[in-house]
Amino acid sequence: MSTVILLLSLALGTYVVAVLEQWASTNRLRLAGPVISALRLLGQENILPRKSDRLFFEVGPVLLLIAALLSLAIIPLAPGLIATDLATGALFFNAALAYVLVAMIMAGWGPDGAYGMIGGWRFLGQLIAYAMLVVMPITTVAMRAESLSTIDIVTSQEMLWNIAYQPLGFALFVFAGMAMAFVPPFDLPVATGELAGGVEAEYTGARRIVFRLGRMVLILSVSSAIVVFYLGGWLGPWLPAWAWSMIKILSVAALMLLGGRMLPRIREATLLAWCWKLGIPLALANIFLVGILVLVVPL
Amino acid sequence: MSVQLVFLLAFGLAAVWFGIVVFRTHSMVRSALALLFSQTAIGAMFLVMQTEFLGVLQIMMMATEMSIMAIFMVMFMMDPGGLGEMDMKHQRKLSLGAGILAFAGATALALLADWGPIATEIPDAGEQVRLLGFELLGRSMLIFESAGLTILTAMIAATAMAVQAANRPEPAAPDRGPDRGKQHGH
Repeated sequence: MSTVILLLSLALGTYVVAVLEQWASTNRLRLAGPVISALRLLGQENILPRKSDRLFFEVGPVLLLIAALLSLAIIPLAPGLIATDLATGALFFNAALAYVLVAMIMAGWGPDGAYGMIGGWRFLGQLIAYAMLVVMPITTVAMRAESLSTIDIVTSQEMLWNIAYQPLGFALFVFAGMAMAFVPPFDLPVATGELAGGVEAEYTGARRIVFRLGRMVLILSVSSAIVVFYLGGWLGPWLPAWAWSMIKILSVAALMLLGGRMLPRIREATLLAWCWKLGIPLALANIFLVGILVLVVPL
Repeated sequence: MSVQLVFLLAFGLAAVWFGIVVFRTHSMVRSALALLFSQTAIGAMFLVMQTEFLGVLQIMMMATEMSIMAIFMVMFMMDPGGLGEMDMKHQRKLSLGAGILAFAGATALALLADWGPIATEIPDAGEQVRLLGFELLGRSMLIFESAGLTILTAMIAATAMAVQAANRPEPAAPDRGPDRGKQHGH
């Protein structure tokens, strides 16, 4: 039963994220938008570029989707409503999303096109910027929960959500999470208008649907992680646990997508400089601060 | 044969196969990613052996490491896409000999070493993470901290070498005749 609920909420969540994404990029809220786009893409010719690395070209989008789906396996929507409660859940989330990078490199390299290739390698540079800012805030969350299990992480926030307990970590994790899901202003690998779609540029038809779907699930996954690690997961008054999870996850996704559109796209070099010169020292300071807090004010 | 052993063998064979693919392909990117999937298969073997933390860690670390290796191979090799059919195998006799020797050595070590009593009770994954934490901050602290410090030193040294100092003069451009020099008037 819980499997069915999880799959349904996954489908629903992905659809809403797709609607939100279209709303953010076109400024028009159309509930049937994703269906129309999918039908249009299905009717499109499946173009195979000449001299492509066929294996990478085909595997890239599928790997993106699989990595994003796997990372959702450790997200609890309610007590007991989780695909798999791993003892290393918080680490597993990272491990699964590390393969987003591999998928992007494959999808960028595969079609033998300049835009795609630049986009794919750009994402590698982006990862070098954001990776530490994902791992270090997760460390402090695990320090407070004294566990890497996502269920334990949520229950550790019963007294006070982590957004209040470690706001610095929250800010860093949201920043890095947006870069990880390459939503604007961090959409360097697919930069529309600058790289003509980047990694997406050479994909048409059904392959493009898989790529877009993978990206929507990735955005959903990152929003879920923000909710589980910092916004108290399913915790909340009056409403049932799963409702709180859904409301929080979709609100975070909406804020990420709509807020990100307001900002100019960041340059790769600027992103790297910010992350390494400012972000990592702040993340280290956060580990130090939370370490003291956990010892002195164990809430 | 238990299900566990079947999976262990399957992932082990996958690791070996991807290792062979590294040298069979012509493309640098394919070669790097084949090495990645070989390492991922080893991570999966850790998972089958119920060492969850090590398995997940291996799977995570290798993805970024091998991708970074791929871009360096693309940057420095003359035929990154493999369209020129470049051969990955060099010094065949030497490498064949070294490979056989290393394989024999590792096998002998595995068979002959005294591994002590084999664990019958496996602590659950959460307990393993806890024990690993105590190990890293206890007996093995010196080793891990010195390794970490060494890597940090190497990182700083590499960055220092890569950064062009602001006041260091640019290396003189090779002389390409009088006209060229006038165009670049710096």
